[in-house]
Amino acid sequence: MAKVRKSRPGPFDYARKRSLQIVFLLTTIFLYAPILVLIIFSFNNSRRGGNVIWRGFTTDYYVKAANNASLMEAFANSITIAVISTIFSVILGAITAVTLWRFRFPLKPGYEGLVALPIVVPEICLGVAIAIFFSYFNLYMPPGTPWPFNLTNIIVAHITFSFPFAAMVIRTRLTTFNREMEEAAKDLGATEFQVFRDILLPHMKPGLIAGGLLAFTLSLDDFVITFFTSGPDTVTFPVKVYSMVRFSVTPEINAASTVLILITLILTAVAMRFQTFGDERT
Amino acid sequence: MKRPNLSLSRRAALQGIGAVGLSFSLPKSLKAQSGTVNFYNWDTYIGETTLADFTAATGINVQYDLFADNEELFAKFRGGNPGYDLIVPTNDFVERFIVADLLQPLDHSRIPNIANVEPGFMNPAHDPGRQYSMPYMWGTIGIGYRKSEVSGTPDSWAHLYTSDEYANKIALLGEPTTVLQMAFKLMGKSLNDWSDENLAAAEEMIIAQKSKITAFAPDNGQDLLLAGEVDLAQEWNGDILQAMDEDDDIGYVVPQEGGLLWEDDLCIPVGAPNPEGAHELINYILDAEAGAAIADYIYYATPNKAARELLSADYNENPAIFPSQATIDKSEVSLFPGQEVLAKIDAAWTRIRAAG
Amino acid sequence: MESARKNLRVFLAFFTPSFGWLVLFFVAPLLIIFLYSVGETVSLTEVKTTWTLQNYIRILEPEILTLLWRSLWLALISTAVCLVVGYPVALVIATAPGRWKPWLLLIVILPFWTNLLIRTYALLNILGTRGRVNELLEWLWIQADGFLTLIGLGAYNLIGEEFEPIVFLGRWSGVIIGLVYVHLPFTVLPIYAALERLDRSYLEASLDLGASQWRTFRSVLLPLTMAGVATAAIITFIPMLGSYLTPALLGRGQVDMIANVIERQFKGANDWPFGAAMSLLLLYVTFIILAIQAFAAMRKTRGAADG
Repeated sequence: MAKVRKSRPGPFDYARKRSLQIVFLLTTIFLYAPILVLIIFSFNNSRRGGNVIWRGFTTDYYVKAANNASLMEAFANSITIAVISTIFSVILGAITAVTLWRFRFPLKPGYEGLVALPIVVPEICLGVAIAIFFSYFNLYMPPGTPWPFNLTNIIVAHITFSFPFAAMVIRTRLTTFNREMEEAAKDLGATEFQVFRDILLPHMKPGLIAGGLLAFTLSLDDFVITFFTSGPDTVTFPVKVYSMVRFSVTPEINAASTVLILITLILTAVAMRFQTFGDERT
Repeated sequence: MKRPNLSLSRRAALQGIGAVGLSFSLPKSLKAQSGTVNFYNWDTYIGETTLADFTAATGINVQYDLFADNEELFAKFRGGNPGYDLIVPTNDFVERFIVADLLQPLDHSRIPNIANVEPGFMNPAHDPGRQYSMPYMWGTIGIGYRKSEVSGTPDSWAHLYTSDEYANKIALLGEPTTVLQMAFKLMGKSLNDWSDENLAAAEEMIIAQKSKITAFAPDNGQDLLLAGEVDLAQEWNGDILQAMDEDDDIGYVVPQEGGLLWEDDLCIPVGAPNPEGAHELINYILDAEAGAAIADYIYYATPNKAARELLSADYNENPAIFPSQATIDKSEVSLFPGQEVLAKIDAAWTRIRAAG
Repeated sequence: MESARKNLRVFLAFFTPSFGWLVLFFVAPLLIIFLYSVGETVSLTEVKTTWTLQNYIRILEPEILTLLWRSLWLALISTAVCLVVGYPVALVIATAPGRWKPWLLLIVILPFWTNLLIRTYALLNILGTRGRVNELLEWLWIQADGFLTLIGLGAYNLIGEEFEPIVFLGRWSGVIIGLVYVHLPFTVLPIYAALERLDRSYLEASLDLGASQWRTFRSVLLPLTMAGVATAAIITFIPMLGSYLTPALLGRGQVDMIANVIERQFKGANDWPFGAAMSLLLLYVTFIILAIQAFAAMRKTRGAADG
């Protein structure tokens, strides 16, 4: 392969540079080493210490995890919360980014600061603050609210802390936008909406994807803010895990995580068959 | 639903009174509209079929939710009760909840199974007369150790707090109150004696030992012990019991200076939507057979005398579950030290953790 | 940039939803926290707003400053590592063939969809004194030792008399590894977003003019994507400052950071005013920095428009 390559790689062919590929590979090993340990120990025949000492092979914990209704319910809650809050976060993040990028208005630096603030407040402080707020104004969903509306409080809190991350990433993306394109399109008679849909939105797409992934990740893994803003009947996966750790980290939770990783891979493969992603330039 | 108060103490007092009234004479319209008890407990801390059996027996559904530690539980309820009916804090936190006016008094007439509770548990210092709480499970804090790596039985806190013998093979708990209290026991003081001298001496002792301590382990001391990273770990008996189940080389001892006796209690928080259902569930848990099923499944010490009579010798005579009377006599129950002392404990703890 | 006044309806359509959301669910709750930070604890559940500065003054206690300083350093070093690792990773993703991109992005993000606590426990398994890394090193050591003996150098103990495991846990190194592990996607994603579909003509021009790859990277690519790097640095660094699980588990309580103290104020210590003051400290600093930055940027654009 090295022989086929031109003597000097073309501009932006960084993905083909051996040194960068090695960095990518080493990073992948670093990121997956704990995941590999987790998967191996999901077959560990041990009651306590899922990730501690190897005590022989068993698939019992997969059966247990599959039969553990509360674990499955926690999964469903977590994914529902993450999906809904990601959709809202990307929409709010995108319009915030466009506002900051497009308009000049009084006190704009103040608004810029405000958007960044949820990032800098420690999560426990934000969790407590929102919990007091919900409680003070009686905004908790009443017990017995049907699923998924019983998750509303958690979702609202998740959107609050994750959309500023999305906004920052999308705004970064917008800084590379070539405004002349927009003006040219308008000169050719495109409406405001057409410009947005056909020029701005495609340009923003990598930012929307990156921001969305970030929002999804933040929401899926959040424990502290979820704990403080949750009411009855809203156990999420992290809440389940933190409480389980107190008594017994069985390999069951590793088994469940392994299954989740597999499901994600399959869903992504399926999704990609139906959708083109990014640009197709090679 | 109780609102948290920012500064108005009068309103808080009124709400407290209101809530007390509520628990006894809830208007019909509000009464258990959903027929569900929202039970906020630790994970895997109930019998396998207990809740289903309860529903079958009474027609009341139970929604089982999870919390992970007492500190968080208190912080959450300080913010306001979002609709839980029954919670399970540990004794000193029960007292903290009581002092903070966050619990409803229990109506003993609705809990006839109270008769099953061992008399010794009926008048604890943290809740005299059991006005607000019913005992659920209890245990000790002591030392888990690796038998092959220690000489004899490490039955003194000195091995953890002052000695060089096991340097860099020691794990203390990650939570300030208990770690300082066990230093008090080593000094021969009561673990509830939060005098400035005691606190200063304990702080000095731990800072001097800090370089020999492998970890301040937040609930994973037993893992460190199992992995061989430490040979001595200060831990809850239940956690070490699980490690012993895995590894014959692990032992558990409550030191000769005494340890800590803990007790998790069933309590109904202020603002509970269904206190009637919560009373029913408390009563059911204190039933002999139901209580026996729970204890047999989670393997913690039950204060339910009638339940114990139904259980095997393997459970009843297990020294890691039920410590000897001598151990109980020298150990103590932790009491809530008051808000002012909490601030002092935290300041000392910050200095300990920042040191070195 | 256009004036909001010129197109007020469009502006308000963009501005109102996020602003409204922030005011309702962020500013309002935070006002309560602000009142706590200038208040005094009068009972277990009550704080009286007395407009005292005592809670802020307490931040100046030496042990709090020690922890603040330590947190800053740990977060700075870890952010630097994240940037050095994250930029090449983002570059590979952004310049990979189109059909590879989603898979490469997924490879980077997938580990983070596994629960943080479980991953941290797995990291403990890897980094322990008797963990997998040290097992590997010990195996290598034994091979090397065998080899040295074979060639007759065994008696000199060139690589030590016996294998000494590397201690990561309870040290800065373990905490930094953990912080990098947890926050890497915060670095990779913004840089990826800035790099994706970048105008190649600049790079071509640079290379055509004879600049080396490295020089092209340094003087063309990096400046072009600086906004992405800055965003990445900010959203990596700030959440790192708020880490408490990593220091508690990988630092084994020996390398605490400021968020461990903040967390305790809201939980065990039940000192919400002090916790509030510490939480808001970072907010004030950030707000001042962002405001200065924004003002500078605004003056620059105004200057450009005027000139």
